[in-house]
Amino acid sequence: MKIFTLLFLILSASLVAQVNVGGTITDAKGNPIPGANIFIEGSYDGATSAEDGTFNFTTSETGVKTLTVSFLSYETQQISIDLGNVQPITVKLRESVNTLDAVVINAGSLEAGDKARNSVLKPLDIVTTAGSAGNIIAALQTLPGTQNVGEDGRLFVRGGEADETQTFVDGLRVAQPYNATTNNLPTRGRFSPFLFSGIAFSTGGYSAEYSEALSSVLLLNTQDEPDQDKTDLSFMTVGLGVGHTKKWEKSSVSANVAYIDLAPYQALIPQNVDWNRPYQSGSGEVVYRRKFENGLLKLYAAFDASHFDINQDSIGAVRPTRINLKNNNLYVNTSYRANLGSNWDFFTGFGYGLAKNDIRIESDRVENEENAAHFKARVQKKFSDRFKLSMGGDYFLTHFNETYQFERGLVLGTDYKSGIAAGYAEADIFFSKNLALKAGVRASQNDLLDEGSISPRIALAYKIPKRGQFSFAYGEFSQSPNQGYLKFSKFHQFDNEHATHYILNYQYTRDKQTLRAEFYYKKYRDLVRYDSQTASYDSFYSNDGFGYAKGIDLFWRDGRSIRNLEYWVSYSYIDTKRLYRNFPVEATPSFVSDHTLSVVTKYWVEKWRSQISLTNSTSSGRPYENPNLPGYLESKTKMYNSLSLSWAYLLSQQKILYFSMSNVLGTQNVFGYEYSRRPDANGIYQGREITPTADRFFFIGFFWTISSDKKSNQLNNL
Amino acid sequence: MKSVLYIFTFFIAFSMQAQSKYEEGMKKAFELWGQGKDSEASAMFERIAAAEKNNWLPNYYVALVNTTASFKTKDRAQVSALLDKAQKALDIEFDKQPLNSELLVLQALIYTGWVAFDPMTYAMKYSAQVTDLYDKAQKADPTNPRAVFGKAEYEMGGAKYFGSDTAPMCAEVKRSIDLFGKFKPETPFHPKWGLDRAIETLKDCKQ
Repeated sequence: MKIFTLLFLILSASLVAQVNVGGTITDAKGNPIPGANIFIEGSYDGATSAEDGTFNFTTSETGVKTLTVSFLSYETQQISIDLGNVQPITVKLRESVNTLDAVVINAGSLEAGDKARNSVLKPLDIVTTAGSAGNIIAALQTLPGTQNVGEDGRLFVRGGEADETQTFVDGLRVAQPYNATTNNLPTRGRFSPFLFSGIAFSTGGYSAEYSEALSSVLLLNTQDEPDQDKTDLSFMTVGLGVGHTKKWEKSSVSANVAYIDLAPYQALIPQNVDWNRPYQSGSGEVVYRRKFENGLLKLYAAFDASHFDINQDSIGAVRPTRINLKNNNLYVNTSYRANLGSNWDFFTGFGYGLAKNDIRIESDRVENEENAAHFKARVQKKFSDRFKLSMGGDYFLTHFNETYQFERGLVLGTDYKSGIAAGYAEADIFFSKNLALKAGVRASQNDLLDEGSISPRIALAYKIPKRGQFSFAYGEFSQSPNQGYLKFSKFHQFDNEHATHYILNYQYTRDKQTLRAEFYYKKYRDLVRYDSQTASYDSFYSNDGFGYAKGIDLFWRDGRSIRNLEYWVSYSYIDTKRLYRNFPVEATPSFVSDHTLSVVTKYWVEKWRSQISLTNSTSSGRPYENPNLPGYLESKTKMYNSLSLSWAYLLSQQKILYFSMSNVLGTQNVFGYEYSRRPDANGIYQGREITPTADRFFFIGFFWTISSDKKSNQLNNL
Repeated sequence: MKSVLYIFTFFIAFSMQAQSKYEEGMKKAFELWGQGKDSEASAMFERIAAAEKNNWLPNYYVALVNTTASFKTKDRAQVSALLDKAQKALDIEFDKQPLNSELLVLQALIYTGWVAFDPMTYAMKYSAQVTDLYDKAQKADPTNPRAVFGKAEYEMGGAKYFGSDTAPMCAEVKRSIDLFGKFKPETPFHPKWGLDRAIETLKDCKQ
């Protein structure tokens, strides 16, 4: 009994005993921080710091306790204090590196996403840009660092060929990102913007996590979770589409199918193309997502089948060449991402692409098939907000075969198998809110080329008061030669092609305004060369090509100067020359315009509930080879200009009427010239213009969304 | 016998003290909040949250105070810092009770904060989710007036813009006011806000 009395007395006494805790809270430079929250963890005792950063409170706690100091936009600090012996405490808080105004490593990278801090584009931009017509690639072509190559349609980045850009969906390579097409008939990106929540487009100096791209990577991420159950219907002048999303507690499915047929449009408005059967395609995409307690499983599958039959004039031939192309494409991508606890993040995935082409060129027949797989695993550990480590491995497997069957019965077969094993490690370090470093290295081994490579990458960013920042990036990049060469691997042992990037970036950001200027220098080496008119099995190949690209990319975006108007201006200047392919001398390739200017505007007219968008793209003349003149690739086309208009009218919250028109002004553009291989009787090489398939293209669509909340619509798909 | 009594009194005294300490702290925090001292109120709720790990209310108020504070400022860095702080506090409790109607309402409110902050970036992402969250909140507790009112108010903005009929939303606002009338918070510190705004909104409906 006495023990209890004693205990009671001791406890009561301790409840009464009061200790005074006081001190000062400052930032890293010693300036006082007012308003910080200082308290003893687990008790109610604490205070808020005063104007001069000082604080003072009494506590009845005893012994060694944890003192927590927290303040908005600063890192929370916990220190241990002995309440038996309290001295005035000075706590220095460090600024959080996770705030909107912290430094961001962004040299080379253009992002569209909801992480507002480093996005130059908004998710909606990709699709509401006039002239893009729902094609992700066309929208990206309004960004600096890209070229207008209208007869091709693919992405050409900073003097690089289109295949120097590699596309990834959820971190996994997409071996065939474009629809199949033939010469001078522009292609489109294979993916509908409908399923992606974030897009990062790197025009150089990208992370060690990615490879096999000499110039650029395009990273598309599918949504983790769709917002709600809904059905989307689209009726277009070029086809029909249906999409449906269903959501359950832990999982969801989105699926869409589309049928595109250019025949009715062609019948109504003839194009400068002699179709036997205009382009038609059927496609479908499915995404399944399932949440687990600590992980997320995603499954993505896309299928499309397309067909067209065309007569193409070719110079020097008596009659046009008939090309009949059938393409089937399947892409499957599965990934699992898990949080392993204590800031370990694990990701693994598998991507597989199958492309089959059956092309008849007059009476010849080409059949090819590409199987491309990618296995990937990655672990990331976040040691703190300031230090993150990422490591991973990839295995790329490609199998390609092609048979060329001549009319006369002769059959030529080519094929190759290549396996690339790679591993990387990369660290992200924030030295302060104003200085950050990303350093990594990637090693890879290509068994077909029997060649290994080590690629270091480094990027640094420094923020200057108040809204500007400088970034610098350096990296080594390697890529195996493209399919067109590799299929002759039995006849020649190719080597990897290499590039080195140096990028200096300045960015100024404030509310709804961004200015970005980027200087770059890119050096190419070990490019493939050959000695014949076209690359063939019996050409003489070497890997001794080289080249460079340097220039400046400017980007200005403004959404604050004029109410309801968003616009951006991209300007690129490039100076590039290469000795590669069958170039006899170092020259600027025909897809390069020295100057490219894009102006994109989006104006929201409240009264009409309409978004009116205008996009104007201009580029200076492109080089072409005129064999009638001395020199190589020394002639230039006239300037290119195209003004596109689109109008999205919201009939009601869920019904949209959409109209768009490309090249409103009807500018007669010329992409280049082609010449006959042999001179005519007068010793002159006959030539002809390569022009767009149509001067103007009209599009009318009606988009209807059905969902329970009667709110969402397809504005983001246009 | 006596010893038992001692222990008894001791425990009662102790727990009563703890109880009153919680009440005192919460009262103090509400007082600061009422005086417009948002950051101090948030600090006080944060202290209580650190001490009362099994009570969801302190973190709920840390989130609520910071979310409402974000509506008052125009400084972009500040808005996003406040909303981030609110989200962090809410996440702690959401992990424990994913189907708490009040937490669902608060999540909807934080997303509304992001939409208001930058519609171009966040409207597409969060609009449908906000409605979805209110639906879930109504399902979790059909008597929660904030879930009914929140949804009606959010939908009303869109309906007005498109000139469509706001009558169904007004009916919901009216229903929420009835629910507010019947609503009995479990303790004086449980969420009970929203009636004033519902009445204001209903006035607009009648005009």
